[in-house]
Amino acid sequence: DDHQLSVEDLELKYQTNINKAGEILLRDGPNELKPPKGTPEYVKFARQLAGGLQCLMWVAAAICLIAFGIQCGQGDLTSADNLYLAIALIAVVVVTGCFGYYQEFKSTNIIASFKNLVPQQATVIRDGDKFQINANQLVVGDLVEIKGGDRVPADIRIITSQGCKVDNSSLTGESEPQTRAPECTHESPLETRNIAFFSTMCLEGTATGIIVNTGDRTIIGRIATLASGVENEKTPIAIEIEHFVDIIAGLAIFFGGTFFVVAMVIGYPFLKAMVFFMAIVVAYVPEGLLATVTVCLSLTAKRLARKNCVVKNLEAVETLGSTSVICSDKTGTLTQNRMTVSHLWFDNQIHTADTTEDQSGQSFDQSSETWRALCKIVSLCNRAFFKSGQDNVPVPKRIVIGDASETALLKFSEIALGNVMEYRERYKKACEIPFNSTNKFQLSIHELEDPRDPRYLLVMKGAPERILERCATIMIKGQELPLDEQWKEAFQTAYMDLGGLGERVLGFCHLYLDPGQFPRGFSFDTEDMNFPTSGLCFAGLISMIDPPRATVPDAVMKCRTAGIRVIMVTGDHPITAKAIAASVGIISEGSETVEDIAARMRIPVEQVNKWEARACVVNGGQLKDMETEELVEILKMHPEMVFARTSPQQKLIIVESCQKLGAIVAVTGDGVNDSPALKKADIGVAMGIAGSDAAKNAADMILLDDNFASIVTGVEQGRLIFDNLKKSIAYTLTKNIPELTPYLIYITVSVPLPLGCITILFIELCTDIFPSVSLAYEKAESDIMHLKPRNPRRDRLVNEALAVYSYFQIGAIQSFAGFTDYFTAMAQEGWFPLLCVGLRAQWENDHLQDLQDSYGQEWTFGQRLYQEYTCYTVFFISIEMCQISDVLIRKTRRLSVFQQGFFRNKILVIAIVFQLCLGCFLCYCPGMPNIFNFMPIRFQWWLVPLPYGILIFVYDEIRKLGVRRHPGSWWDKELYY
Amino acid sequence: MFGGTLAGGGSGRRGLGGSEGAPRWGLPHVGALLDPPLFSPPPALILFFYLVFYGFLTALFTLTMWVMLQTVDPYIPKYQDRLSVPGMMIRPKTDTLDVTFNVSNTESWDRYVKMLNDFLEPYNDSIQAATNDACRPGRYNEQPDNGVLNYPKRACQFNRTALGACSGLNDPTHYGYADGRPCILIKMNRVGEAGWGLAPPNFEGSPPHTFKLGEMVMYPPNGHIDLMYFPYYGKKVHVNYTQPIVAVKFLTLEANTDHNVECKVNAVNIATTDERDKFAGRVAFKIRVNRD
Repeated sequence: DDHQLSVEDLELKYQTNINKAGEILLRDGPNELKPPKGTPEYVKFARQLAGGLQCLMWVAAAICLIAFGIQCGQGDLTSADNLYLAIALIAVVVVTGCFGYYQEFKSTNIIASFKNLVPQQATVIRDGDKFQINANQLVVGDLVEIKGGDRVPADIRIITSQGCKVDNSSLTGESEPQTRAPECTHESPLETRNIAFFSTMCLEGTATGIIVNTGDRTIIGRIATLASGVENEKTPIAIEIEHFVDIIAGLAIFFGGTFFVVAMVIGYPFLKAMVFFMAIVVAYVPEGLLATVTVCLSLTAKRLARKNCVVKNLEAVETLGSTSVICSDKTGTLTQNRMTVSHLWFDNQIHTADTTEDQSGQSFDQSSETWRALCKIVSLCNRAFFKSGQDNVPVPKRIVIGDASETALLKFSEIALGNVMEYRERYKKACEIPFNSTNKFQLSIHELEDPRDPRYLLVMKGAPERILERCATIMIKGQELPLDEQWKEAFQTAYMDLGGLGERVLGFCHLYLDPGQFPRGFSFDTEDMNFPTSGLCFAGLISMIDPPRATVPDAVMKCRTAGIRVIMVTGDHPITAKAIAASVGIISEGSETVEDIAARMRIPVEQVNKWEARACVVNGGQLKDMETEELVEILKMHPEMVFARTSPQQKLIIVESCQKLGAIVAVTGDGVNDSPALKKADIGVAMGIAGSDAAKNAADMILLDDNFASIVTGVEQGRLIFDNLKKSIAYTLTKNIPELTPYLIYITVSVPLPLGCITILFIELCTDIFPSVSLAYEKAESDIMHLKPRNPRRDRLVNEALAVYSYFQIGAIQSFAGFTDYFTAMAQEGWFPLLCVGLRAQWENDHLQDLQDSYGQEWTFGQRLYQEYTCYTVFFISIEMCQISDVLIRKTRRLSVFQQGFFRNKILVIAIVFQLCLGCFLCYCPGMPNIFNFMPIRFQWWLVPLPYGILIFVYDEIRKLGVRRHPGSWWDKELYY
Repeated sequence: MFGGTLAGGGSGRRGLGGSEGAPRWGLPHVGALLDPPLFSPPPALILFFYLVFYGFLTALFTLTMWVMLQTVDPYIPKYQDRLSVPGMMIRPKTDTLDVTFNVSNTESWDRYVKMLNDFLEPYNDSIQAATNDACRPGRYNEQPDNGVLNYPKRACQFNRTALGACSGLNDPTHYGYADGRPCILIKMNRVGEAGWGLAPPNFEGSPPHTFKLGEMVMYPPNGHIDLMYFPYYGKKVHVNYTQPIVAVKFLTLEANTDHNVECKVNAVNIATTDERDKFAGRVAFKIRVNRD
């Protein structure tokens, strides 16, 4: 309540002019926002190692080590497979962890580079002397001076002020500059005029004030603290992966348990059966999946970064794809955050000015005489000027010294006329009355350009109704007509229309002074006003607004087609908010609010059927009195919502309410006031250029070019990666079965082991990684931007259909392929299938050097071992051949591969070639047998699995055909994943 | 199989295709939980589906296996990629290939003698004479099919008596185990017809400490195996094939000492240098004769 105290009380309270600044500094700490508790780097790294999949792999590694321990305990030292497996699992987790950490580290660096590191200076008056000190040395009670262009160094109670205006947009979302003056105007410290807030910009004028709060105790500090208190939401993809891990773990334990029982029944000793159990559980862990998911996500992150979306957390790249509601801030996000001339009214007609950032829009007809007169007034009656040395900068980007509306007008006339500065010099200014709140007009008198014309020109602008009062005539098409009732009516209509658009309207008029009465060199006196200020000629109205960014309406439209609801949540006033909402399409054409309907039907608001109103504008005051249920009710009732005058706390509540409705919420914003909501949202998107540090810290994604349209890209990429991850996972899961069945058959039927552990690791971590990643490059099957957002409860990343189809159908076919090839290789080398059954004990007996095959030939253990390696290799090749077919079918889930195009995804083609080359290399590179247990195999064994590969392809085409032809049938339900 | 139980649950799906039209509402209905449950096909249908599916797969598997077996001749191995070098083994054989016994303790060598007796049973002259031919030594015993496919092949006699002092026939010393001059039989694994060609293998003791091994004598003389025992035509056609063996009798083995002996095939076309397979063309064993 410092704003309500008198200056004397305030001095008493803070003992201004004290000499013990140092003491207070020690007590309160430096005047700066404590950086949000940065997560220590080791915690960030640890987080990379503790995701759902990572945990699964840790558990698997632990199991492997236990199994290895049991084997060692039994004195079985022949096979270190379990040890290798554990090491591989741990290595995968650590390597992908490092990779993910590096990715995030890189994007953090990009974001950090945006931070302004220059320490801020402040002018402080201590004991009557002025000092320039670092702003962080300020303490409560210090007397500080601020002037236009300064950043307010702390929360300041204004004592004196000369036309001081501040930009509160980052704090409250108001795009208009706010006047600061010594008078207390409101009970609330946020609304009163005599407090200037830490970190807001002083746009013009000067002021002095006493610091009442510093550092984290400032308003902005409190909001930042609020944000840091909000827990980060789990990303949808993390939830999906956990769900997926549950499925995997469930299946693994189910299988392990089943075969444990089987092994016990067959008569294995308990410990041996236990080792089998563990091996099966571990075999279910898709070692390669973690790498695939990480690489796919970072590919998308890279793709997004190229489109200027930087993602802080890898998992967040998918979130926009799942988003069903976007809560967008207005100022600086949807709008350009600069006042711009948007409409003009002259010649009894409303003209629309070009408000695009790059002046690419259409201009209006500029041939009228009235326009020329109006333009002259606009140029001359303006105190704003360009900072020098910006001749090469495009006009909209030039820095202007002056108030926001004058800036807008200056830029407008600069574009319309050319060099305004020079123009002004030609019309020498004789005298000037600046704008003040009592007059509500601004006036200046100029000599004319033509030296032979001795007249003076008086130009005036101001609040339209005040200007009109002073006018006697109105200029229409260059003619001065008397301002009668009819014209006044027309003026009123235009004024209301423009005001209704949420625009700030100014009136313009002029008068050529009588040269007899006012000869050259006449001394104009601004105090006495010894010149006429009435009976002027009205030229026109100009209205200004902070216009929407050019790309926003299109982006909003695209979001809507994509089934995403866009809600505006702003700190600005309802009328402006509604106008902007309407112009960007958040409130669509023809949608009415309850109030609109009431006005149209001329009935009281209470009688309107609220369900008829599609749109709704709720303001902060109403929101304060609302229960959460009511808010939820309103959100359900009106599809098009605008929240105006909301506090940071309320933004948070709105986000929570949407989440309560089951939506996945994205919040876009740039201001400090958005930061709690940004943090609470499933994905917070902050603006990179306009955004405050607080917002960027709280956000998960940063748009480097502040382009709202990038969100659409984010949605598209997010949806695409969700679809493609599904494909990658399906591809990766499939081979789990052909990797597992050899072991199951080995246990139950006691054939020589068809597939070894190291070989499995090669499939998982070497040959199949590239193809599964290449699926991330797959194009969308349909126009994903015309679909609803996925329902997070129903449309899972990995659903039962996917698991069942991959495991029990495609995986089964692959297993059969592997066994066919295995038995072929065995039979052609002398071991017929029936002989293999039950052969295991003898086969693995390393004291038996003369085991007879089907032809009576005798084999040493070493020869059998190489034969076993041959089997591994043959099985490996079978899986590879089937996986080539698998990756082709995974290109689409619904369309035929022929519709999608075989070679459209070049990366995938390269991946297949790479996979084949790698397979050849592993088989035929000398030395492989003794290092990695790969044997050079005969050519025809590459061909044995081909029929199964073709079967996979044909079967999947049949599946897709059925899915396309009979949507909703049992076939569709069971086989569409 | 397993599918039936898992597939029973309704699976979620996401609507594809723009025909559904863009929804006006971003928020899912609160009643989404109450949406009519997705149509779950009856378990019987799923069971039937999987029955057909796996039935078909099994049929395909059987077919490919049948095709594969057509490519394999039950009489002649298609490939012998792993059998380029025949393995070697000794008799009597223990897991550690350690022949240790005490001359005066009958029980310590009794099992070795039993092993040798069992092993040499089929080599008895009477059996050999009954089933096998006496072939002409010094050349391969090639028996072309002469138009009749897989015509049964005759095997050559390898008589137990050829092992001389190691035949164990009428031998009070029980292959020398009773008097500390033990016999070790060395056998070479049989491998099929493609075999190893021309040069006859013979065995050679190449002990590192020949002086300690003392004198030894080999049967057949010099450990020479005659060509007539090759090639081997596989167990189907070459039913009574008798593997040639070499017996080594250690005559003056120093007692109470470990002797590590390695035997190698000595043939031009058999490599005995495989680092990994210690039994490829060679065999190493330990022998120790204890005397009180």
